Amino acid sequence: MSARMESSNLIKKKICLLGSFGVGKTSLVRRFVFDEFKDNYLSTIGVKVTEKIVAPVLDSNHKPIQYKFLIWDIEGHDKFNTMIRNYYLGASGGIFVADLTRPESVQTLKKTIAVFQEINPRACLTLAANKRDLYEENSEESIKILRQIDNLKIHYLLTSAKTGYNVEKLFYYLANRL
Amino acid sequence: MNNTCEEILTIQGYGLAYLSADRIIISHNSTFSGFAGQHLDESPFIENIIPEVFGLEKPLAKVASGEEKYLILENVSRQIDESRELFLNISFFHLSDQSRPLLCLIQDVTNSALQKQKIIQQKHEINLLKHLSETRKKFLSSSLLGNSPPIKEIRRLIGKIALIPNSTVLLLGESGTGKNLAAQVIHYGSRSSDANFVEINCAAIPENLLESELFGYEKGAFTHAIKSKPGLLEEANGGTLFLDEIAEMPLTLQSKLLSVLESRRFRRLGSNREQEVHFRLIAATNRNLPQRISEGKFREDLYYRLNVISIELPPLRKMGQDILLIAGHFIEVFNLEFKKEVQGFTAAARQKLLKHTWPGNVRELSNCIERAMIFSEKNMIEEGELVFSKESVNLSSRWQIPATGIDLEEVEKQLILSALENSNGNKSQAARLLGLSRDTLRYRLEKYQID
Repeated sequence: MSARMESSNLIKKKICLLGSFGVGKTSLVRRFVFDEFKDNYLSTIGVKVTEKIVAPVLDSNHKPIQYKFLIWDIEGHDKFNTMIRNYYLGASGGIFVADLTRPESVQTLKKTIAVFQEINPRACLTLAANKRDLYEENSEESIKILRQIDNLKIHYLLTSAKTGYNVEKLFYYLANRL
Repeated sequence: MNNTCEEILTIQGYGLAYLSADRIIISHNSTFSGFAGQHLDESPFIENIIPEVFGLEKPLAKVASGEEKYLILENVSRQIDESRELFLNISFFHLSDQSRPLLCLIQDVTNSALQKQKIIQQKHEINLLKHLSETRKKFLSSSLLGNSPPIKEIRRLIGKIALIPNSTVLLLGESGTGKNLAAQVIHYGSRSSDANFVEINCAAIPENLLESELFGYEKGAFTHAIKSKPGLLEEANGGTLFLDEIAEMPLTLQSKLLSVLESRRFRRLGSNREQEVHFRLIAATNRNLPQRISEGKFREDLYYRLNVISIELPPLRKMGQDILLIAGHFIEVFNLEFKKEVQGFTAAARQKLLKHTWPGNVRELSNCIERAMIFSEKNMIEEGELVFSKESVNLSSRWQIPATGIDLEEVEKQLILSALENSNGNKSQAARLLGLSRDTLRYRLEKYQID
């Protein structure tokens, strides 16, 4: 069990954010932790760990429990060498991020999910279909992308780091199921 | 590891710590203390001192036992302050010393990481920009749904207009007919699609702000102009400026806009320097402009300048069977959004959709289907599940003003609050319920100081 009780009864959990470059992983963390959004794009190199104490939730015995998330914002990558796999080690949760305007960002997730699950078979997973503010919900193209996401067969939410849409819900989905 | 190796690593700037098999720090050098900071006194466990090590307990046990020789975390970044980032390589090596079988090395690799970032940044930015432009074209062209003659004609016209650079276009049509979408299709289908598509809703912004937004200003141009700001005209240079609800533009600003359209030159507020701009202007309105001219609310010369090419977007009620096609499309969209498996409409529901006059057009149709999908528990939407939000508006003639009169602004405020309540605080949904654009709703929320 990769959790250690702190004196304040907070339980630490490592949560990894994974997905192709430019899908908005850093923006989702920034929105969730600092409630801010920056329009400029800066590629993440390696990994950046940000801490956030989340509001108490009820565990499976209906007792209140409070987590401190160590959120691993991992650089977008298409290859899975040992260096990348090391980032995944010991994670309790995985948030896979797709860009609703880029179908290829969904295609690469299939492999990412498989590798992550192989390393962390008991981790709780969810998917953020991000940039909802940009995608045209009326277009055929959007439907195709959402259908691809649906085919990945994991829980997903449409999100927008820009507007904050569903961002809290995404992280609390994990908090309620860890 | 002998003392000489230790010294070399310390001189090279490595943070170094020896750990027991259960990850307790036994000894460390001063550079390590610098990376550990204040946490060093809080706990003897490495994962509590170097937060990035948390979760690695099992893999570290393998390194301590010799099952694995090493474990490396590359380019772990830490924010020092707002502008500075530190990148570290954190490595663990197996030592044959049983009392301290783990060696932790921390190396500052900021310079090489920043160089890598620079190269990757350029590569990603190029990819993202290329992609954005291509996707927008694909997305938007497939968004003008329908096979009815009016829609086919619109697609044909838009295809032709997109090929003519910088031609001014006037989009006419009722609210909710997709004027904004048509403007984007024109822009993203044209050769200047890599340049900006800049839009502003003339009804959503107060007169004085609209002028500074459009023209920009120099520092000191007015009381709160603490620094210079380029206007939307500059941002749209080389691309498209979309002025929505142009009929609501104040007369004084209309004459300034006309001047820009004729001379292709303008000045920022508070500046004497003229700048040249080239953009395609697309204006849109749901008003009868000739009537506004006769009322003295719109300049005739601007109207003729805008009316070079005009496109009338058809109301939904004139699109015949396309109503069902678009409604079916919304079912697919909301099936995925709400994770439902609605297959379509019953025959009676289809008839109801075709008979309705759709005063709110596609926006109203989207609303209607969304609401039906939320409450529907069967795989076919039934007649009774289709509720037309505009019905209450159609009944407006029955509303009676009390003899004591009303406070119109208070009524408007209450309607906005009610729409927000009905949409659980979702501003886009609330705007749809009120038949407003998001920008207009945002302006009114600020006006009434609704948080």
